[in-house]
Amino acid sequence: MLSAALLAPAAVAQSTGVTNWVDYLHLTTSAEVARVENISRTSYEPTRKDATTFAVDVGGSIPRQLAPSVLFAGSGELSSLFVSDYELTNHVTATGRLTLQKKFGLGPQTWVLQATVSGGYKAARLDDDQGFTTEAGFQLSKRVLSNLRFAGSARWLEHDAKSAVFDLNQFTYGLDVQWDITEHWTLSGNASWLKGDLVANAAPFVWSQMLAGAFGPAIFNSYTSRPWSVTDLYGPGWVSYNVEGDVDLWSVTLTYAWTDQLSLDLRYNAAFVVNQVGVTYPTSAWALKLGYRF
Amino acid sequence: MKPLLSCLLLFIAGQAHGAELAGQIIDSKGVPVTDAVVSLIPLDAPAPPVTATARVEVAQQNQEFMPYVTVVQAGTSVVFPNRDTVQHHVYSLSKAKKFELPLYNPGEKESVVFDIAGLVTVGCNIHDWMISHLVVVPTPWFAKSDPQGAVHVEAPAGRYRLELWHPRLATPVTKEVVLADGAAAKESFTLTLKPDRRVRRAAPGKTGGY
Repeated sequence: MLSAALLAPAAVAQSTGVTNWVDYLHLTTSAEVARVENISRTSYEPTRKDATTFAVDVGGSIPRQLAPSVLFAGSGELSSLFVSDYELTNHVTATGRLTLQKKFGLGPQTWVLQATVSGGYKAARLDDDQGFTTEAGFQLSKRVLSNLRFAGSARWLEHDAKSAVFDLNQFTYGLDVQWDITEHWTLSGNASWLKGDLVANAAPFVWSQMLAGAFGPAIFNSYTSRPWSVTDLYGPGWVSYNVEGDVDLWSVTLTYAWTDQLSLDLRYNAAFVVNQVGVTYPTSAWALKLGYRF
Repeated sequence: MKPLLSCLLLFIAGQAHGAELAGQIIDSKGVPVTDAVVSLIPLDAPAPPVTATARVEVAQQNQEFMPYVTVVQAGTSVVFPNRDTVQHHVYSLSKAKKFELPLYNPGEKESVVFDIAGLVTVGCNIHDWMISHLVVVPTPWFAKSDPQGAVHVEAPAGRYRLELWHPRLATPVTKEVVLADGAAAKESFTLTLKPDRRVRRAAPGKTGGY
């Protein structure tokens, strides 16, 4: 009788499955420091600016299985970037994301299709760059071995900024591979191709020469047909301009996971931009990121 | 007649726990092997059936199955309580027992009877890294090695086929052993284990503009 009375509350909890929604929330956080070469995304090499960036990120997600093979997740993320040398580039973004995942069968080696839509606001130090960002994407992935996973993805991104200079409309498709080398070490790589609008920058004297026609009519016509403005992002008089281009992106990340919660990433990533008139803007970065899952 | 025979066998088994097998299991580097399953299948008489009340638990906790390896006699009911704060989708594709528990909410618990001897690998279809092994044996005399690699099985005196299984062993080890009353039979095993190929826990992904 006594044992029945003692067990009753537990039995009720088990039969109803009552759980506060907060209990379903999964929180993550990360802090990253990166050394970025040509952070200014500048074509003329002598004027390119490098910088050390700091980023912190907190996120939470609530997953829910809707049907035996369909998983839904709602997530939110608050991330910020600080660049002490170029404070006008500092920004904070708040993003909400919905993900629907369909798994084609049982087990870790079945195909997984994921559709994601997200919306967010970028609160940038530079007013012109503030605005809403929307994104939609698909990812198809398959684990071919227990420690080797491939994924292909396509996504669309649009950033509607206060100034048209910072408006973005981008389509990206890419391939990812992840190799869990040991219990602690993981090597992952990504190769992506992006097409769309992006923002580049030019030093004042370079932009003046362009406006004077020093780089030819093709560049003059292209650059002046699209939004540009003096933003001082990378120094007094610096110009930000919107260009249409193609970007080859790739990255390699080596991760060491101390535990299931704590991991450290060492990443190298590079991007090679070619705009519509053949001008290039190579950038690259080394980054160290500490991630924690609560 | 069958229930009578079962009762008789149970009575005999209950009365005759006089012999013992003590085993020590190490890998090829001399490191003690934990979670190795040793079972003794009687060769001269049928094994007594499982008791009707036999219940074993494999819980989902911290997005892992606890324990990683469980050994039960065929016919045992195994309960799978979800003690997590997330849903799980427990399943097995193993020949010895195919089953699926989708939309499995925190606080829920369901039982599955494992009535055929064999290896049953249990996974979660949401969290691919979650895996558990159920070794279903046709005998009540079995044990699992502890972190020191030691294993003790008590059984009536007699001839047995010893079966030794481990998740990282390519094929089970079998040998005939004879247990005598009042004396512990000692066996030692050196196993060549395959690398641990379990799926790692996934890291959260992130996207963004360029």
